[in-house]
Amino acid sequence: MKPFDFIQPTTIDAAILALAEHNPNVRILNGGTDYLVELKHAAQSPGVVVDVSRLQDLRGIEIIDAGLRIGAGTTHTEIMADPLVKEYVPAMIDAAHTVGAVQTRNLGTLGGNLVTCVPSMDSGPTLLALDAKVIILGSKGTRQSSLTDFFIGPRRTSLEPDELLLEIIIPKENLGKPASFIKFGLRKGQALALVNAASALWVEGNKFKDVRIALGAVAPVVMRATKAEALLEGRVISEDLVQEAAKIAVGEAKPIDDFRASKEYRNDLIEVGTRRTLQAALTASNIKN
Amino acid sequence: MTDIALIVNGENKTVSVPPETTLLKMLRENLNYTGSKLGCDVGDCGACTVLVDGLAVNACLILAAQAEGKEVLTIEGLSTLEKYHPIQKAFEDVAALQCGFCGPGMIMATKALIDQDQDLTKQEIKDALSGNLCRCTGYTKIIEGVVDAYQEITGKKIPATKPRVA
Repeated sequence: MKPFDFIQPTTIDAAILALAEHNPNVRILNGGTDYLVELKHAAQSPGVVVDVSRLQDLRGIEIIDAGLRIGAGTTHTEIMADPLVKEYVPAMIDAAHTVGAVQTRNLGTLGGNLVTCVPSMDSGPTLLALDAKVIILGSKGTRQSSLTDFFIGPRRTSLEPDELLLEIIIPKENLGKPASFIKFGLRKGQALALVNAASALWVEGNKFKDVRIALGAVAPVVMRATKAEALLEGRVISEDLVQEAAKIAVGEAKPIDDFRASKEYRNDLIEVGTRRTLQAALTASNIKN
Repeated sequence: MTDIALIVNGENKTVSVPPETTLLKMLRENLNYTGSKLGCDVGDCGACTVLVDGLAVNACLILAAQAEGKEVLTIEGLSTLEKYHPIQKAFEDVAALQCGFCGPGMIMATKALIDQDQDLTKQEIKDALSGNLCRCTGYTKIIEGVVDAYQEITGKKIPATKPRVA
């Protein structure tokens, strides 16, 4: 690693001050499972690294007025063990479980997974399907963003160099919404997703309501399959309709060919992933009612 | 240079290293704990697995400065040459290791798993060790060793796995 200056602030305010002072030659470090790998291969020093891994205020999971608040510095292991997550957004546990391996999940954070913004991120689809929002703090104050606006491109978010991702909020109206996540990788541990997917939906009477389908690793950023969602919205639930929606989702994605999988194989996985997550969300809904 | 005070294998240590030093590098080069291995250096292989405050982490993916004030346990803290830890004994008894390079990481990941004191299935054991690669491909024996160690240490039994249906 190229030498850098290292700051370990003890408060969030001090972290923001440090970011503002050294902007733009400054980067944030938390779990480090991705950023340290990047630093090891970087040709140039980032200048200043601000380590926020000691900020307890960045961690923790609680119910607030707006919904379920998850501190950006909460690790995947902490998410997997959290009773509130288990009760209100259990699909997030399945998603967290597919991140790297135990060692990665003990260090890696939810905020880090989002900020890194690789198309195959395992936290993205479930959060997108649950309309999660992010709260960002910078020297000019706090702002809120939808995840759709937050994700800009591969490894690019709307986060400015002097801003810190504070928390992720699952809106109150989506707590307990039946949802499901699935990941296809080449092996169980340490594998990047070839395709991952999440669906969330309410069942009203015998009809689909507020359907969300999110897909990862099939476009520059994690995306919603809005045409497939629209097909289902308000319609009577049937297996044929689920199959049809899954086929439509394939047409909305733009997967690439690479050494991990061909475009054709990814298209098959999109269909299977969409179908299975919709079916699993419907099953979860039946169990609840 | 950053001064780092931490506990390694029960002993207080203070080390002065440049901020870009990983915990693994500090353990191996400043403190001479060379049991933890440098394998891939990007968090894929698990050969550098140590326990930080009881949790298994890749020592190559954490800066030494991030371990300030924390309690680190390496393979050297587990036993002496005269007296093996039960996990090491179990690994030896089933001849779990071939070249042995992945051993310290495998054993530390196993230690973190058994310390959680949960009822485990064979599948959960495999899941917990999925971040540790063995390039001699001796996983069957390693998992056997972990199962034996778990049963020996906790007194519990691993539920029998269903035979695989073709």
